[in-house]
Amino acid sequence: MMAMTMADDGVAPDGLLAARARDGDRAAFAALVERHYDFIFRVAFRLTGRRDAAEDVAQDVCVRLGRAISGYRGGAAFTTWLYAVVLNAARDALRRSSREAVRAHAFGTHVALFSADAAEPDDPAEALWAAVRELPDKQREAVTLVYGEGLSHAEAAEALGIAEPTVSWHVHEAKKRLKALLRPAGDERR
Amino acid sequence: MNENDPLDGLRGRPAPQPTREARQRALEAALRSYDENFSTAPQGSPDGKRQTGRISEIWRGLMQRKLAATPAIAGLVALPIAGYAAWHLMGEGSPFGPALEGGTPPPVTETQAPARQKEAAPAPKPEVAEEREIDLSTQLAARPEADQLAAQPNAAAPVEAMRSAPMPAPAGTRMVRGLSEAQSKLSVLPPEPMPPEAVSQDRLQAFDTNPVRSALESPVSTFSIDVDTASYSYVRSMLKSGVMPNPDSVRVEEMINYFPYDWKGPDAAATPFNTTVSVMPTPWNEHTQLMHVAIKGYDVQPAQQPAANLVFLIDTSGSMNAPDKLPLLKSAFRLLVNQLSDADTVSIVTYAGSAGVALEPTKGSDRAKILAALDNLGAEGSTAGEAGLKEAYRLAESSFVKDGVNRIMLATDGDFNVGPSSDEELKTLIEAKRKDGVFLSVFGFGRGNLNDQLMQTIAQNGNGTAAYIDTLAEAEKVLVQESRATLFPIAKDVKIQVEFNPAVVSEYRLIGYETRALKREDFNNDRVDAGEIGSGHSVTAIYEITPKGSPAQMMDDLRYGAGTDKPAGDAAAGAHGGEYAFVKIRYKLPGEDASRLIETPVTKANEVASFGQASADQRFSVAVAAFGQKLRDTDATASFDYDRIMEIATAARGSDPFGYRAEFLSLVRLASALDGKR
Repeated sequence: MMAMTMADDGVAPDGLLAARARDGDRAAFAALVERHYDFIFRVAFRLTGRRDAAEDVAQDVCVRLGRAISGYRGGAAFTTWLYAVVLNAARDALRRSSREAVRAHAFGTHVALFSADAAEPDDPAEALWAAVRELPDKQREAVTLVYGEGLSHAEAAEALGIAEPTVSWHVHEAKKRLKALLRPAGDERR
Repeated sequence: MNENDPLDGLRGRPAPQPTREARQRALEAALRSYDENFSTAPQGSPDGKRQTGRISEIWRGLMQRKLAATPAIAGLVALPIAGYAAWHLMGEGSPFGPALEGGTPPPVTETQAPARQKEAAPAPKPEVAEEREIDLSTQLAARPEADQLAAQPNAAAPVEAMRSAPMPAPAGTRMVRGLSEAQSKLSVLPPEPMPPEAVSQDRLQAFDTNPVRSALESPVSTFSIDVDTASYSYVRSMLKSGVMPNPDSVRVEEMINYFPYDWKGPDAAATPFNTTVSVMPTPWNEHTQLMHVAIKGYDVQPAQQPAANLVFLIDTSGSMNAPDKLPLLKSAFRLLVNQLSDADTVSIVTYAGSAGVALEPTKGSDRAKILAALDNLGAEGSTAGEAGLKEAYRLAESSFVKDGVNRIMLATDGDFNVGPSSDEELKTLIEAKRKDGVFLSVFGFGRGNLNDQLMQTIAQNGNGTAAYIDTLAEAEKVLVQESRATLFPIAKDVKIQVEFNPAVVSEYRLIGYETRALKREDFNNDRVDAGEIGSGHSVTAIYEITPKGSPAQMMDDLRYGAGTDKPAGDAAAGAHGGEYAFVKIRYKLPGEDASRLIETPVTKANEVASFGQASADQRFSVAVAAFGQKLRDTDATASFDYDRIMEIATAARGSDPFGYRAEFLSLVRLASALDGKR
C-alpha cells in the first residue's frame, strides 16, 4: 500500500492523504491540514482583508474540515474542494459581521464593528481589494479566485459549484460595479 | 484582454503570513473536530430514537439555552444536559446529525457536550451515569464557557421567544482566541456562532400601492384571490430581528389573509364558498367607508378528502445549512407527514449539486420510512433547481392519483433557479404541469437569500400557496392547522370583479392585491389563471370607498364632465339605485375547466352603522389592513398612528386560540418603536 502510493518526491499527494484521513487515519489528516493551512489562511485573507478575521476563518475552516473530510469523495482536486470550504466559511463570517452592522444601525447604537479597524488603504491595489470586498458574495468570490488565486474561469467554476459562463458573468458584473465603486472613492481620497 | 483589464492590479498581491500561534490553534481545533467526528462514527445504532428526535431536539435546545443563561446555575445544569446529550448521542449515532460539508454544526450545546465526554473518556461508553460525573467536573472547570453559551446567537431553537431578543455581538470567534489556552487544556471544542441569516440578498418584487380610482372613469376593479401568507411571516421575522421591513415585502392582502376569520361558510360542498359583504365607516378617515368582502371556503370533512400524492422537493444546497432552514424544514415536514392518511403517497426529491430521489413514492402507511428519509437529508453543494423540479414532476406523474390531490411541495431558502433556464421557462413548465393536474406549493425558509418574487411566481402559476416558514409555530399553522386548506383545493381560478355605482361611490381604492390585479376582460376569460381557495380557507378583500359628495374626494369633478353625470343620475333613479356596488366572483371547481359565477349586489342593507358595530373579526382584519398600509407607508394611513391600530386590534382580539392575534399585537408594538426611531 505504501510503496506504490508515494509520490516522486516522497510526499504523499493530497488525494491520498485525504482518502486516508477519510478512512480514519489521524496522522494523515494532521499532515493534510498542516500542509494546507497557509493556503487556507491566504484565501481567507483575500476574502476578508484582515489578519484577525482571516485567522478566525482559517480556524473555522480547520474545524469544518475535521467533520467534512469524511464527506470528501475525491471527485475534484483537493484544493478545489478546499476552496469551496473556505469560501463558505468566509461567507458565513462576513454575514455575521454584516448582520451585526445592520442590527447596530437599526438600534442606533454605536458598536465597534469588525470593519472599523481595517487598514487604511494607501496603495491603489489595496484600495482595489477593499472595493472587491464590498461586492456581492458571488462576484467577490469569483474575482478573488480568478485574480487573487489565479485560477482559470473553469477552475473557479468548479470551486464555486457553478457553471463556467456564470463565473465569467460574475467577473464581468464585478468589473462594471468596481468602476462605479472606485470612481467616487478615488476622487475623494486623492 | 489583459491590457485594459481594470482588475489586473489585483494580481500578485502577497497575503501576509499567518502567525504561528494562530496556525497552532487552528491545527489543534482541526484535530479535535476530526477526533470527534471519527470516534463517534461507529457508535450508536443507526435507527433507534429517531421518531421523536427532531422535535425533542428543538425543545432541548431551548431548555438548555434558557438554563444556561443563568450563570449561577450553569454548573448544576450541566449534569442533566450532559446526561441528555449522551443519551441522545447514543440514540442518534452522530452528534452532528447529517453529514455537513463546509457547514456549521447543529445546536451548539450538543456539539460541546459530546466533545467533552469524548476527551474525558475516549473509550466507547455505554454507561450514562459514569459519564455524567466526568462531565460535571469538566463543565465546572470550564465555567467561562457557560457564559459564552448564553451569548450565542440563536442556534437551535426556532422558537419565538428566542428570536425576539436581539443577540449580542459576534462573540464566538473573538472569545475563541481568548479562551484558546484554557480550551486546549480542557480540549473543549470552540463554539461556532451560527449564521441565522443575512439581510441583504432577499429578492423582492417592487410594486406600487393601488391608487385611488374614480368610480366614474373606471368603475370596474378586477383581481385574483390570494391566499398566500408569506408576506406576513416575512414581515414578522424582520420586525422581530429589529428591522423595519422593506415596503416591497409588505403585501397587505397576505397580511390580512394570514389570520383565520370566522366568516359565515357555505352549507354544502355544492357551493364551494360563501361571500359576505359589509360596508362600514373607515377608522382612519371619517369621510370614507370600507367595503369588506369576506369569502369562506367550504370545509371538506376528513372522510370526504381525496387521496393525496405529495412530492416534497427539498433544497439541500449548502445555504440551507442553518438552524432556521433544513432542521426547521425537517421538523415542519414531519408535522405534515403525521397528518397524512395511510392511502396518501409521499416521495422526496432533493436538489443540491445534482437532483436526486431521496424517497421513491411511499404510502402513508409506511410512515417510519418517510420520516427516516426526511431525517437523513443533509445540506451540501449548490443548487440545481430545474433538474430537481423535473424529477419531482416525474415522480408526481408516476404515482398520479386521478381525482385526488397531486402536489409538489417545494421547500427552499430562495436560490431556486441556478439551472440554465430562465424564470420565464420555469413558469411555462409549471403552467404546463398544472394543466396536467400536478399543482405546486412553495415554502420559503430562512432569510438572506430568499427569492420572494420567484416564490410568488411559482406558486401563482402552480395553483399553490406560497408560505414563509420562520418558526416551528408557523410550520404548525401552515402544515397542521391549515393542512386541509393547503392540500385540498375546493375552487380554483377564483377571480373577483367589483363594479362600483358612480351614483353612490365617487372614488374607491383596493387595499392590497397589487400583485394580483387582472384586466377587466380577464374576468370572463377562463384561460386566465387566478388563485385557488383551499378547504376552509378564509379570504378577505377590503376597498376603501368615498361616498358621493364626501369631502374626502381626492379628484375634483370634471368641469366639462357634466354630461357624464347623466347616466349616473339615471342609475340612481333606476332599478339599481342606491346600490354601492355589484360583486361578481368567478371560480372553477377543481376538476372542471368552465367557470361558474356568483353575483352579489351591495346595498344599504349591507351597511354597518358604526365601526364598533362590525364583528370582531371584521374589525381585526381592518386593523391588519391598517398596519400593512402603515408598513408600506401608504398616504391614507399616514396620520393614523400605531396606537389606534393597537386599540382596534386589542378590542377585536376574540378568543384567539392559537395566539396569532396576540402575536400581531406584539408586532404592532415593535413596529411602533422601530418606526419612531427611523
